[in-house]
Amino acid sequence: MAGKIRKWLEIRIGLDELIKTQLTEYKVPRNINIFYTLGFVALAALISQIITGFFLLIYYVPHSDYAFRSVQDIMNKVPYGWLFRQMHAVGSNLMVAIVLLHMLSVFFMGSYKKPRELTWVVGSLMLFTTLTFCLSGYLLPWSQLSYWATTIVTTVPTAFPYMGEFIARILRGGETVSGTTLNRFFALHVTFLPLLLLSFVAIHLFLIRRIGISSPPFGTSGEEKKTWTQYRHESHAGGHPFYPYFVQKEMFMVSAYFVVMFFIISFLPTLFLPEDANTPADPFKTPAHIKPEWYFLAPYQMLKIVPNKLLGISIQIVLVTLFILWPFFDTKEEENILKRPLLRTLFILSILTWITFTIWGRYS
Amino acid sequence: MNRRRFLKSLLAALGTTLLAAFIYPLVRFLAPPSGEAEGKKVVIKRSEIPAGSAKDIVVNSIPSIIINTPDKGFIVLSKICTHLGCLVEYDKIKSRLLCPCHAGVYSLDGNVVSGPPPKPLRKFPVKVEGEEILIG
Repeated sequence: MAGKIRKWLEIRIGLDELIKTQLTEYKVPRNINIFYTLGFVALAALISQIITGFFLLIYYVPHSDYAFRSVQDIMNKVPYGWLFRQMHAVGSNLMVAIVLLHMLSVFFMGSYKKPRELTWVVGSLMLFTTLTFCLSGYLLPWSQLSYWATTIVTTVPTAFPYMGEFIARILRGGETVSGTTLNRFFALHVTFLPLLLLSFVAIHLFLIRRIGISSPPFGTSGEEKKTWTQYRHESHAGGHPFYPYFVQKEMFMVSAYFVVMFFIISFLPTLFLPEDANTPADPFKTPAHIKPEWYFLAPYQMLKIVPNKLLGISIQIVLVTLFILWPFFDTKEEENILKRPLLRTLFILSILTWITFTIWGRYS
Repeated sequence: MNRRRFLKSLLAALGTTLLAAFIYPLVRFLAPPSGEAEGKKVVIKRSEIPAGSAKDIVVNSIPSIIINTPDKGFIVLSKICTHLGCLVEYDKIKSRLLCPCHAGVYSLDGNVVSGPPPKPLRKFPVKVEGEEILIG
């Protein structure tokens, strides 16, 4: 039966040739390492978010009067509703972590360098789209935590002169976060952002396939390094086959991702759902210690310590722009960060600063 | 200007007009709809707020507070902190308003005393007519 289906497909789409060119004869560098699988893990995480998000949509009611109740019902009444909600909530945090790790490893391997600048730019846009996803999804349970975290974030644009108040009003649909904001964020979360992110994924994958996977600067690939003066596909002729060699590594890492996810769901179920996440939103009472999610703690703490709000936000915009356009600032050909003491110091200092601000923001 | 260039410019102008024609209604569509409560006056009995005390109210859908100050009479302020939008709380003992998020401190006039808020709290007009206080 399977043979018949295969033959049927072979006649129509040239299956054998497709498998050859895209899997078995598609080569990856000999010195490729496990960190190169993180992009695929992020894709698997996105697929998991789409599937669990669809299941949640079946029971979720996007209305400020019913949203909190419907989420509580998903957790307590709908059979296995808790499982899909936890997978979605924990998955969103893990997805941010994976995308961050992926970008860190790309930075460390120098894979953003010529001719892969566009791949980096699209990748960093995907990181910020993922964060916007988290932000818009965060409001949907309509809890105290989600309400006040959204209030803080939607107040940030008011620092800008002239247009700031208008932008904040457009985001919220009014003076304050209300049912109108919930509708807007819901529309963003389930229609616009998925389309945007999937478009970025398509462009990202196209660029990777078109240019070819980059070789790590560590270990020996046995390949001659050529300068990029014109377009060429980096084919890694003496490399390992993508399937089964690299796919095995990817599957191992995807399994590890789900092991971490189910460990958190089973043994640390309140890690991402603290008490304020189970209290209905009260627009007239700010909780005593409102904190954003861990990935926003560093910018949050920075806003707290910079005395001028406009200055604090401007610094963050400059840093984000620098991050997105980094390949155009660092144009040196040397990819090995171990041979670049200044870049290495900058890399370590940036990570340490981010960790320090995150911990400081958590406990301040 | 040759024919090709003229047509290109015409097409660009048409495209820009079409884009603008789409963006204008889009911005108007996304701008907050004016609520029924907008401009509506809030009426409170004087006796509800003795001297030195305060009461949480809602003015034009904005969480607000009315304070009966000993020296300046009734003051109505938005409770929304101008830093990041948390709600300030009335500290009766120290006669000030305090934001729980980043410790912004305001005087009872709504002016910034300390902390990160960039501007004073929004003030609402208040009028006392006999036993009634009219806000908004």
